[in-house]
This record gives sequence, C-alpha cells and structure tokens, in this order.
Amino acid sequence: MNNLRPPKLAEKFLLLFLKKELAEEVLGDLDEKFYWTIEKKSLRRAKLNYWYQVFNYLRPFAFKFFKSNSIIPTMIKHNFKISYRILKKNKVFSAINIGGLAMGMIVTTLIGLWIHDELSFNTHHKNYESIVQVLRKEMENGEIEVNSSHVSKLGEHLKQTYPTIFQKVAITFYRNQQLVVTVGKQSLERLGYFFSTDAPEMLSLEMIAGQASLENKEAVLLSESLAKTLFIDQNPIGEFVQINTSTQLIVNGVYKDIPLNSTFSDMDFILSMELIYNDDSPPTWNNYNTKIYAQLNDGVEAEEASAIIKDALTDNISEENGPMDLLLLPMKDWRLKADFNSVDGSQMTSNRVVFIRLYGAIGIFVLMLACINFMNLNTARYQSRGKEVGIRKTVGSQRKQLVSQFLAESVLYASVSFVVSILVTWLILPWFNGISDKDLSLPWDVPEFWLIGIFFTLFSAIVAGSYPALFLSSFSPLKALGGTLRQGKASVRLRQILVVFQFAISILLMIGTFTVHNQIQHAKSRPVGYDQEDLITVRGRSSEFYKKFDVLRETVKQTGMVEEMASANYPLMNTLGNNGGFRLEQNDAAYSFSFNTIFVTPEYGAATKWELLAGRDFSREHGDETQNIIISESAVEQMGLENPVGKRLISQRGMRDRQKELTIIGVVKDMIKGSPYEPPMPLMLFASEDAESYSFIRMKKGVRYVEAIPKIQAAFEKILPGHPFNYEFVDDAYSTKFRSEEKIGSLATFFSGLAIVISCLGLFGLSAFIVEQRTKEIGIRKVLGASIPTLWKLLSKDFSLLVVISSVLAIPAASYFLNGWLENYEYRIEITWWMYAIAAIGGFFIALFTVSYHSLKASLGNPVDALRSE
Amino acid sequence: MKESKLGDFEETILLLVGILGDQAYAFKIAEEFETQTKRPVSIGAVHSTLSRIEEKGFLTSKMGESSAERGGRRKRIYTITATGQRALEISRELKMTLWNQFPAFAEGKLNFVFG
Repeated sequence: MNNLRPPKLAEKFLLLFLKKELAEEVLGDLDEKFYWTIEKKSLRRAKLNYWYQVFNYLRPFAFKFFKSNSIIPTMIKHNFKISYRILKKNKVFSAINIGGLAMGMIVTTLIGLWIHDELSFNTHHKNYESIVQVLRKEMENGEIEVNSSHVSKLGEHLKQTYPTIFQKVAITFYRNQQLVVTVGKQSLERLGYFFSTDAPEMLSLEMIAGQASLENKEAVLLSESLAKTLFIDQNPIGEFVQINTSTQLIVNGVYKDIPLNSTFSDMDFILSMELIYNDDSPPTWNNYNTKIYAQLNDGVEAEEASAIIKDALTDNISEENGPMDLLLLPMKDWRLKADFNSVDGSQMTSNRVVFIRLYGAIGIFVLMLACINFMNLNTARYQSRGKEVGIRKTVGSQRKQLVSQFLAESVLYASVSFVVSILVTWLILPWFNGISDKDLSLPWDVPEFWLIGIFFTLFSAIVAGSYPALFLSSFSPLKALGGTLRQGKASVRLRQILVVFQFAISILLMIGTFTVHNQIQHAKSRPVGYDQEDLITVRGRSSEFYKKFDVLRETVKQTGMVEEMASANYPLMNTLGNNGGFRLEQNDAAYSFSFNTIFVTPEYGAATKWELLAGRDFSREHGDETQNIIISESAVEQMGLENPVGKRLISQRGMRDRQKELTIIGVVKDMIKGSPYEPPMPLMLFASEDAESYSFIRMKKGVRYVEAIPKIQAAFEKILPGHPFNYEFVDDAYSTKFRSEEKIGSLATFFSGLAIVISCLGLFGLSAFIVEQRTKEIGIRKVLGASIPTLWKLLSKDFSLLVVISSVLAIPAASYFLNGWLENYEYRIEITWWMYAIAAIGGFFIALFTVSYHSLKASLGNPVDALRSE
Repeated sequence: MKESKLGDFEETILLLVGILGDQAYAFKIAEEFETQTKRPVSIGAVHSTLSRIEEKGFLTSKMGESSAERGGRRKRIYTITATGQRALEISRELKMTLWNQFPAFAEGKLNFVFG
C-alpha cells in the first residue's frame, strides 16, 4: 500500500519552491489527480504524471520568492538585454568565451555518454537483475583461478537439482564460432551461438517474426540484420538455412539485433545446443566445453545461491584437481567487476573501471579548464568594465544588482555554449562512435539528459561567473572612474595560478597520449617468432577438406604463387588448447604449469617461417614423427632443461590417442600467440599426420596479392567446389589485438587535443587583454627606442614562465599515473625523460606561439596609435 | 494598473468555475477542461490562471472542506463575482455580434468575399 503514495522526491521538490500558503490545496489537488490516474491508467503513469504536474507548478504565481510588485523580472529581462548587447559588441571575445566553454561541454557530454553506456552495459536485457553466470573457482599452481568453462553435464544437473534457485538455465557452447551460413548460392561466415532452450526467453529477445523457440533442434533464430542479408525482402520464416555446408536448419524466428552494449551483441544467430549434444556425444562430466548462464527465481540472491550450489560439481566428479567451487556472478558485474584476486579469490573491479574513472576525471578537468578561461577572460576585462561599474554605482546601482548583471552574462554565454555544444556533439557523434567502438546517440527524448545538461550549464555559469561578478562589482566608483583603478595583487596571482593549472593539465594529457601511443607501437613491433607477411589463414569447413588436403596443397602450390601450405588445429592468434601433466622421463613429478599444445602438419615451420634455434624441424622424410615434439624456448626455460634436444618426456594424460612417450627434436623461438603484452606461452608442438582445421598459406616473397589470391581461390574451387574460400591476412588479424589500446589512444589524443586548444584559447584571450592594457607602455617604450624583439620578450616572458611551472607540476603527476597504467602490461615501455621533455617543450612552444600573436602585433604597431587615444 | 480584460483561456476557466459550482477547485476544473475540450492541461496551468483571474477581481475563493482522497487536505473553492459575471456577459455579447456579422452563418450559406 505504501507503494501507492505519490513519489516522495517530487513532493519534496514541489515544497522546495512552492509558496507555503499554497501547499495544502496544491498537494491535495495533486493527490487527487494521482489516485484518479492510478484508477484510470496505471501506477507508472500516475507517478510520471505527478512529476509532470509538479513541474507545471514552476510558475511565477506559485513561487516562494516571487512578489508580484517586485522589479526582479524586469531587471532580469534588462540584464539579459544588456548581456546580449555586450556579447554582440565584443565578437572575438564572445567567440573565444563561447567556443572554449562549448568545447569543454562537448568533451563532458561525450564522456558522459560514454560512461553512461559503460554503466548501462547489458541493462537492455529485461531479466538483467536476475541473470547470473555460473563460474568455477579452483586452485591452480597455488593460485586461485576463476573459469567460465563447465562440463557439459553440469547445466542440466543444476536445473534439475535446484528448481528453487534457478528459473531458467541456458547452456551454451564454450567456443562460439564463425560458421558458414548458406542460403541458395549465398554463403556467409557469421558468429552463431549454440544455446539450450531456455536462452531466448532468458535473454528477452525481441522477436520481429516467428517464434523464439529452440524446442526443435533443427530450428535456427536469425538476427534481423542477418535475416535481411540472407533473405532481403523475402519472409525468412520456415525457410531453410545450411550451416557449414552440411546441416540443414529451418528459420524459426527473427529477433531484433542485440545492442552493442550487451555481452551477446556479437550473436548473429542462435542454434540449438542439441546439435552438439547428440547420441554420439551426450553431455558428460569430463568435457569442459560449455558455459552456463542462468536466471534466478524471484527473491533469490546470487550470493546466497552461490553458497548452496558451491559443491554441485565436486559431488559428481573425482577430485583430481583439488576443490572446485561453483559461484554465481550477477549480470551487473559482468562488465566491470568480473576479475578475481588470485590470492584470496575475492571479486575485483576490472581494468575498465580505471578508464571510466580516468575519462570521468578528464571530463571534469576539461570543463574546469573551460570555466577557468571564462573567469580569466572576464576578470582581465576589468578595465573596460570598470568604467561601466563606476557609472552604474554612481547612478545608484547596488552591488547585488551588479552581481546579478554579471551572472546573467555568464548564464547567457553558458546557454549559448550549451546549444552549440549539443549541435556539435550531434554532428561528431558518428565519428566518435567510430573511434570509441560504441553506438552512442544523444538521448533527445530522455528528460534526465536535459535536466543534467541544464544543471551543468547553470553550474558552469555560476562557477565561471561568480568570481568575475564579485571581483568586478567590488570596484569603488571613485577609483573606477578616476582612472586609478589598479589590478589587485591577489587577482593577478589567482589568474596566474589558473593558467598554471590549465597548462599542467594539458601537459599531463599530452604526456599521457604520448605514452599510450608509444606503448602500442612498442607492442606492435615486438618480434612474434614467425613471419606474418605474405601469410594467410583459411579455415577448413567440411569433411571433404580434410580428405583432400594433400591434393589441395599440391594444387595450391602449383599456382606458382605459393611457397608452402600447412595446417594446425589452432589459429596463430591465440592460445586455445593448453595441457598440463608432462614430466621428464627420469623425473617423478610432472611440471606444474601447462603448455600450449598444438598439432601441426610437418610443413608448419616452412609455412610460418618460424626460427629454429636447435635440433631439426618436422619432416615427412623422417617417416613417423608422431612421438616427436618441438618446443619453444620459453618451454625449455620453464622446464629448466640444459640440452633439450633428444630429451624424452612422458605425457601423463596422453595427447589424442598417442603413446605417452615424447622426444624433443627441436627448439624454436617463442611465438606470440596470445596477448602481445604478456609473456609468451610455452609451446609444445606435435606432428599431425592428417590435415587440421586452420591452414596457413605462405605466398612467395614479392608476389602481388591481387594476382595470387584469385589463383589460390581457383585452386580451392577446383578441388573443393562449394567450400567457402574465406581468407584472412595474418598481419591484419594480428593488428586487431591492439584495437582496445588503440581506442584508448585515439580517445586520449582527441581529449588532450581539445584540452590544449581550450587552454590556448584562454591564453590567447588573456594575452590580448594584457597587451591592450599595456598599449601605452609599449608605445612609450617604442618611442624611446625599444626594439621589437625586446618588446616581444617583455610581453611573452611572464606567460612562458607560467608554462614552465606547469611542466614542473605535471611531470611527477604524469609519471605516477602512467606508471600505474603501464603496470597492467608485462611487455611494456619504460617512460623516459624525453617523453616528458617533448610534451613540456611542446606545451611551452604552443603557449609562446599563442601569446606571440598579440605581443608581436603590439610591438609592430605604430606608437602614435597607441599614444593618441584619450 | 491591473488589466481587466478576459483572455480566451481565462474565459473558458471562468465558465467552468460557474458550471462546477461548489466543486470548483483546481483539480476538478482541470479534469472538466480535459473532458469538455479533449485537450490536456496541467493543474498548475489552471491554478495559475485561476489566481490571475482572481487578481482581476472576477473570482473569489475560500478554503473548503477536506476529503480522504486528498490525504485530509482542504481545497480552495472558487466562486464567480458579480464583475466576473458581468465580464462573461460582455464577452458573450461581443462574440454574438461577431457571429451575427459572419455572412456564412448570418445568411445561412457560404458567401466569402475576396478582395
């Protein structure tokens, strides 16, 4: 029943401004309206309407402070009229003021949208509050690891055993893959998610057509964009789709594309999990190839539920790996709190939070820079405005009225800036989405957005306008008119501090941008252990491919464009497939760490051009190589071997169906397969007799790709008609690993660029005033014989010194933040002195250049003009 | 000097006050406005107009009794004054003369003259 009360906050807000004597009747009326709306419409509507009604009481007659005989409204009107005239009169300064403030607002808006997007990640899913992911916590090498892979039987088991906890359990295949989707003659590679039947409802898919059901294992659900690409205008429901050229499925439904800020945004289509579980491979307790998402029953908390299901796994499997606890991670933590401490297993905020804070700080700083400009420019105008203040005071203006005049001015400036900033933001959003990999848009129809916008506008206006208002209105009329007005020491000092602050932030951002770029370059130029150039990857997709691999390889080589072709069970770009349980023949204990284990055809080395450090490569001439292995240098190091070649290893678990004894025949340089920022994973390579699913084609040096690729494709089509030839350049694929860092880099460049421009705008305006103020002095000096360089030096010196102080402040701060950031990366640069130096010197010259415009203009001018006035 | 003309919206509100009698308070008037004109209006807008008409002297008001659905709060009931009544009559007469001069209605057929 308590819920059926009008919103408290709205009531409070109303009472904040409403005249006391009106409170009773107005609250009564609004209550009546509220209960009436509940009855006629809904509670939600009633609440919304209550707010609407409250805002509609923002009228002069109901206002507390409004007296109908007061002159305030007229005065406000008058103030704005004067402000408008002043704005029009000084076009350059108005432009600098508005431009600077607008830029600050643009940055703040963009960052605000970005942060909002991050924080609202996944909230699009209706069951956001109750969805969890099932995770597994285990001890590995003395460290606590949290994994998301589960044995395929577990999902079903959880659903059956704990009906009071789980409302729905959605099981998905651990590695969702690009699958070939064929309709008629059209073949595309798209990412398909295998899901159990609960998934569509749990993820609250919005269906455009058909049913959101996976009950039939031949059913497939397509995303709107995929359906459009495949079927164009045709109705896709009930049509056939072929997956990987072999499985025939029926389109059961089309769902609206999942928004970019969802964990499942890359899902192009959904297939039934039953396609993977079949009679030949039923769910088991020993194959970790699924992920489990679940929806909790109403009122069940993830934490309590975690405690109950904790041992569900260990109750059903033999405990060879020590304890494995299950835990439930609520959807709201997936994005920003999905890391776990390796020592005590506690949940930690992830790196993304650092960026949210960082960008948030940048946003506030940049807005502050803009406000500072405003303050500086307006206090600097004291001389011209001083006369005005003097006259107004003599005529009888009160200080309060002057303050309100100046505040009206800054409100006007801020409002114009706000409008400008919204327009510009709207224009540059598509570009910003490109560099930030987001899908942001201005929420025109969200009242909160406008409320926040207006709040910030007024906030900036007050922050920026209060000091000038108080300062300018404090002049004594006698001094202001008598011409003896002198700037107080305090205000000069304050202005200097503000300039120092601005440039310190600009230089800090510059150093930051520099470091990020350098770190990316550093990782990009890291040696990868093989030659990425002229190398392409093609996926094998059908059983035909494996059967005819040797013929295919011969035909491809016959094109004359190709040096070698080989295959492996994993791509070059990641470290899927890690295995432990290896020991040296003479040792009892196995090595406690795991190796990246890859099966390769004998020409793998020739195709990738890896660097052999010792021993020999695999070769068909050596006959059976199946018991031989090649390892990488970091594997040698991990095992602590002296002369690795010829040493024999025992694989305790066995690899595929092979015998367990392995001989090391060669050592290769480390290959960077995982993150380019992390230490290399130790590799163990096994010779495969049959083709594997990833093949690598090494083109001859110097061939033209436009010539080579069609010939290779023709060879494919000749041997494997109907098999898609989708190739990927290895160096291109590798460069995508730098994407997220590059995003950070380009965002940082953009923000720091704007910060510098804003600071310079401020300096530009400020120097203009200073020069104007000293025009007479310059004139006299010139008449008395001062040279242009002397005058320029005289005028630029003060500002230059401020920038030097800024650098001194910025450098330690930068070193603190950036070293913290770099610590995230194992493979990283050291920040060197020259990076600081470039930013500091850069900042100095930018400032000097900005100031020079006015100082040179003043020095070059004719002294007659300067002295004639008055 | 206080303006004493009656605006269009003010006139409608004033009429509604007359229609509603002793039930003429801001919420009821707003409701009645919406049902009669099919146009949405906020209570605040109505209230603001009521207080303006009151200032012009066309309305008086006093606090009425309380009721449960208002959380026990009392309501302000408006009544038309004699000058209010007079203003309505003047307005009606003016409109009637205007209607009578409108040829399409005065002569019972459409007869627009251009020029």
